[in-house]
Amino acid sequence: MASPERTKEILKQLHEAVVHYDEEKAAEWSKIALEEGVDPFIAIMDGLANGMVEVGDLYNKKEYFVPELLMCADALYAGLNILKPAVDASGRRAGAKASIVLGVVEGDVHDIGKNLVKLMFEAAGWTVYDLGRDVPLDKFVEELVKTNCDIVGISAMMTTSMLAMPVVIKKLRAQNPNVRIMLGGAPITQDAVEMYGADGYAKSAGTAVDEAIKLIKMLKKEELGR
Amino acid sequence: MSLRPDRITEKERMRALLNHQKPDRVPIWSFGTLFAIINSGYKVGNLYRDPAALTAMRQFMRQYNWISTPMVGYSIVGAKEYGGEIKFPTSEYAQAPMVSRYPVETEEDAWRLTLPDIKMAGMVPKALTAIRQIRENPPDNEPFAIVILSGAFTAAGNICSVERLCRWLVRKPTVAHRVLRLATDLMVEIGRFIADSLGTDDIVPFIGEPTSSNQLISAKHFAEFAFPYNKEINEKLLAMGYRHIFCHVCGDQNLNLPYWAQIPMGSPGLVSIGHEVDIETAAQYFPNDIIVGNIETGTIQMGTPAQVYELSRRCIEKGKKCPGGFILAPGCELPPRAPKENIGMITQAVNDFGWYDA
Repeated sequence: MASPERTKEILKQLHEAVVHYDEEKAAEWSKIALEEGVDPFIAIMDGLANGMVEVGDLYNKKEYFVPELLMCADALYAGLNILKPAVDASGRRAGAKASIVLGVVEGDVHDIGKNLVKLMFEAAGWTVYDLGRDVPLDKFVEELVKTNCDIVGISAMMTTSMLAMPVVIKKLRAQNPNVRIMLGGAPITQDAVEMYGADGYAKSAGTAVDEAIKLIKMLKKEELGR
Repeated sequence: MSLRPDRITEKERMRALLNHQKPDRVPIWSFGTLFAIINSGYKVGNLYRDPAALTAMRQFMRQYNWISTPMVGYSIVGAKEYGGEIKFPTSEYAQAPMVSRYPVETEEDAWRLTLPDIKMAGMVPKALTAIRQIRENPPDNEPFAIVILSGAFTAAGNICSVERLCRWLVRKPTVAHRVLRLATDLMVEIGRFIADSLGTDDIVPFIGEPTSSNQLISAKHFAEFAFPYNKEINEKLLAMGYRHIFCHVCGDQNLNLPYWAQIPMGSPGLVSIGHEVDIETAAQYFPNDIIVGNIETGTIQMGTPAQVYELSRRCIEKGKKCPGGFILAPGCELPPRAPKENIGMITQAVNDFGWYDA
């Protein structure tokens, strides 16, 4: 069983592996974490996921851009692929904080932003139902019904495809008036959120999780914890 | 709308600008091909396959005192030309064709691929036919025809997908360079084929480069992976005899501007900027080129007529000081379903503030 100091060192290495997009290091230290008895769930949340939080900050500060984010995501998944089975095998519920359906709206295929947002939610311990891109409007509603998710995230990159958003929102609210709806994409502003009847929007992948947590708090009026 | 009558045609107005002379007023470039198509009673998909839709679109453009430049081709050039598959828009929410299968999905694909037979590649045959038809009887609001090419980085993204390209920039830079070479050679050869077939008079290549914006990549990656290839494309096109290049420097390109400024655009070129780049900043980097832009498209779609009018006024105020000349335009494609009242405000603003003798 690793000592507290050793555990701290292992978590630091996992964190840095993600921030420096070093897949090999992420995999190596994930194995070390298991070998030395570090709780795999802690290794994920306080090591790998914490690294992604810093990556999000670097992205917001324009020190990291999309290529770097994708590399960091690869490092994260290199570690998750080793640690997550261990969490599942332990029988411990990872304790998904909440769930979100994500999709790029019909007529639009720009999905890098949505994929980065998906990564941030997964890193933060959410359950993500990814519908992909060019998603027919009714599919969002079907998935909401199927998953009973907390939030639906709809993305659009074009001024044409964003016109589908109020149509989807109306359908979603008709199905579940309490669902929280978050928008994303280059043309989205707070004005669009209000005009379309959504609840919030993610200015960037780096802020998406925080925004979603605010929406959940609004909905449930209780603090999310681990 | 109460408008001061034009005394010269759009063609004459543009001719003045392109000859480094001040025109009578600021011209308006609509970027409104899809807006015109939809408001002519057609669907977006008709643009790519129906000559009647193209004719209707050209007639529609005259209503708003716009320069009409029939744009031949599509923004995803590279995908079909290299053997991939594309899907034309059918949904009312779609704006452009989409790539459904990329020609390059692995590193091996990138090394295996060679330049296609240009005369049969993708959009090229139809582009040639369309330009011939446009030239037969050009009306007075059409100073030239535009053939849509692409910036090297955007075309490379069309060939292998943007996500794959971004990964290769870091993990496999030699493969990224290979795809960029494929993209560059394709753009040059399409330009050469059009020039050899039709000459270069009254044809302007359009280079759209949204994928290299700083919303996606850093200036460091732009310097290595976009700048040298875009410079090569423009230099070679100008050497073929094209006098002007219309370069749509789309998105937040502020960190890339010092590199863009080193890329020749023609004599003069037309440099179109998104709302993210200030007109005065662009004028500093491109003092000899015509600046085109940059009314924010979200406001055109969702704002009030008064907001569009005010935004247009501000653009005109800054643009009239551009030493190389100025054309008022949206910062990117005019939203096809923008309210007509908003569109009319752009013309009204030019009428009220855009005359050089006022």
